[in-house]
Amino acid sequence: MQSVLATMLQPDPYQAAQPLYADNTSIWHHMSEALHQSLYRVLSLLIAILPGILAFIVALVVLTMIGMALSALLRRGLTAARFDERLAHGRGSNDWAPSTSPTALIARTSFWVCVLLGLIIGVSAFDASYATAATLTSSLLPYFTRVVGAVLLLIAGTLFARFLARSVLIEAVNAQLEYARFLSLGIKWLVLVLTAAMVLDHLQIGGNVVELAFGILFGGIVLTLSLAVGLGSRDLVSRSLESHTEHASERSVAPPTTRPDDPIRHF
Amino acid sequence: MATADQIPDITAPSAGPGAGLLVLLAAMTTEQREGVLANLTASFPAESLLIASPDALPADSYPSLQIVAAPATNAAWTLTAADFVNAYQLAEKNEARAILMLGPESGSLGMSALHGLANAVLTTPTDLAVPCYDLPPHAGLVNSAILYPLTRALFASRVRFPLAPDLGLSVRMAERLARAAQRFTAINQGEAPLWPVNEATVAGFTIDQFDAGPRLQPQPTGPDLNTILPLVTEALFSDIDVKAAFWQRFRPLPPASDPIPMPMPQEPSSHAAAEIAPMLQAFRLAYTNLQEIWSLVLPPNSLLGLKRLAATDLAAFRMPDSLWARIVYDFLLAYRLRTINRGHLLGVLIPLYLAWVASHINITTSGAHTESHIEAVAAAFEAEKTYIVSRWRWPDRFNP
Repeated sequence: MQSVLATMLQPDPYQAAQPLYADNTSIWHHMSEALHQSLYRVLSLLIAILPGILAFIVALVVLTMIGMALSALLRRGLTAARFDERLAHGRGSNDWAPSTSPTALIARTSFWVCVLLGLIIGVSAFDASYATAATLTSSLLPYFTRVVGAVLLLIAGTLFARFLARSVLIEAVNAQLEYARFLSLGIKWLVLVLTAAMVLDHLQIGGNVVELAFGILFGGIVLTLSLAVGLGSRDLVSRSLESHTEHASERSVAPPTTRPDDPIRHF
Repeated sequence: MATADQIPDITAPSAGPGAGLLVLLAAMTTEQREGVLANLTASFPAESLLIASPDALPADSYPSLQIVAAPATNAAWTLTAADFVNAYQLAEKNEARAILMLGPESGSLGMSALHGLANAVLTTPTDLAVPCYDLPPHAGLVNSAILYPLTRALFASRVRFPLAPDLGLSVRMAERLARAAQRFTAINQGEAPLWPVNEATVAGFTIDQFDAGPRLQPQPTGPDLNTILPLVTEALFSDIDVKAAFWQRFRPLPPASDPIPMPMPQEPSSHAAAEIAPMLQAFRLAYTNLQEIWSLVLPPNSLLGLKRLAATDLAAFRMPDSLWARIVYDFLLAYRLRTINRGHLLGVLIPLYLAWVASHINITTSGAHTESHIEAVAAAFEAEKTYIVSRWRWPDRFNP
């Protein structure tokens, strides 16, 4: 016991050699070193992918310019050759708008094919350059393709939602449903929520949370629509349906039997 | 050299060389058919007639008549593209000199109407003989609102019923119509209506109109107005689009040959309010819901006119003729430019058409002649023709 106490009370030979507080200069040195290393890593990454980015931009710009030139050349050539008139003559009709004439379509298609080619070449060059910088663990390019897919999905979903909403609105108005706009909005949001869920799933954001939220939202909208149409608007629906039934004969193209003297006949 | 698609052969037996008049009957009841045949044989020698009917006719029923089988079509209320193809094939096979096409319910046509139509294409250089029916005041409203005014204004033709179910055709007219019809039958759209007046006008053929008296108008079966109106307007708009190069040139309207029969003005009916109330309700509902879509098609001036209309009460509801003409022209232009989906476009025209019908009934029940109002509408379409020509050529020009 005494020997233990003696050992504990014995002064540490290293303690006397080191200062009591850390040197400030050394901390700054370490921080600076860490920052330098980080900067070096980022600059290395940029230097590694910079040729790829430049190649992407150059390929896109060059192919776009080629596309513009080709499009102008085709437009001028086909106009000079009266391509539209010849096609209309052979087809027997010319039922196309000026913006959708065959010449305009061919010129536009050639331009966008060139732009697409530029994109493919650019991405391919970027990919090759990226492969050389594979020591960096970033997964930028694969994720970029996912983002492009998600954007396309979002655009398609939004367009489909608008189309469907408009179709429902017109049909509901022509069926004289008082709640036509509400129905149209409900359908629109159903499709938009579905699209948003698909986009997030495609981007692998949220995981199960998105699926759960989508299920709740989708079910909620359907339930709201059902309640509103089935219960909340019961009187409205019955009035609307009664009105529709009463006037079905007048809106029908067949002659109504109630007024034989001078019925309304649309045809 | 212009080439035409070959018309496919059909298997109907030939009735012998040199039949004078081919009469193509639609499917009808035995009583109606007997009435038609009796009227025909009273007007023309039986040996000069060749009857083609999709119904199976017993050979011993009409011993004096030459009868051939015609392919059945779905002509429920008007003549379709398939009917015109069949008519020309039969005429060519049997070397007929002229064709008389009689649609459903043609048993109600009088003898003079049948004689007039057939005689015109047989003995005169007329290529297209069209009947002018004497209909009740509130019948044929789609024709009065859209078909007749548009055809008259754009094709400078006074034919009152451009979509008549009965027609007299010369062989060359039938050939032209068969070629036009083949565009539809080739893509399995044989039920599409065809526009013989437009075809004849573009071809420079002679058109004659005959007073056909009263006739039971066949009505579409099954679908309601929301289905049929877009179908008919789409067919007409498409035909107008195809013939744009023709109608954009100014052509004077030929003078009216006969005075138009004027039905007596109606007494203000107690039914009128009940009839137009649901139509106005439909229009007002559409005004509150479809403004956003209408604004893509119609200029601000027309939208302002519709706003005023929506605020008008039932008794004073009158749609100005010029407003209706511009609305139809703007829809025609939007159809051509595909401003919005064509199905949507023709769907949002329905409430506007119902508003016109309500206005028309209001006007006619307040003492105006039905026919004079229809003529006024057609005149408004003519007056606004410069508007559609200008917008057709320069659609992006500022349009208040």
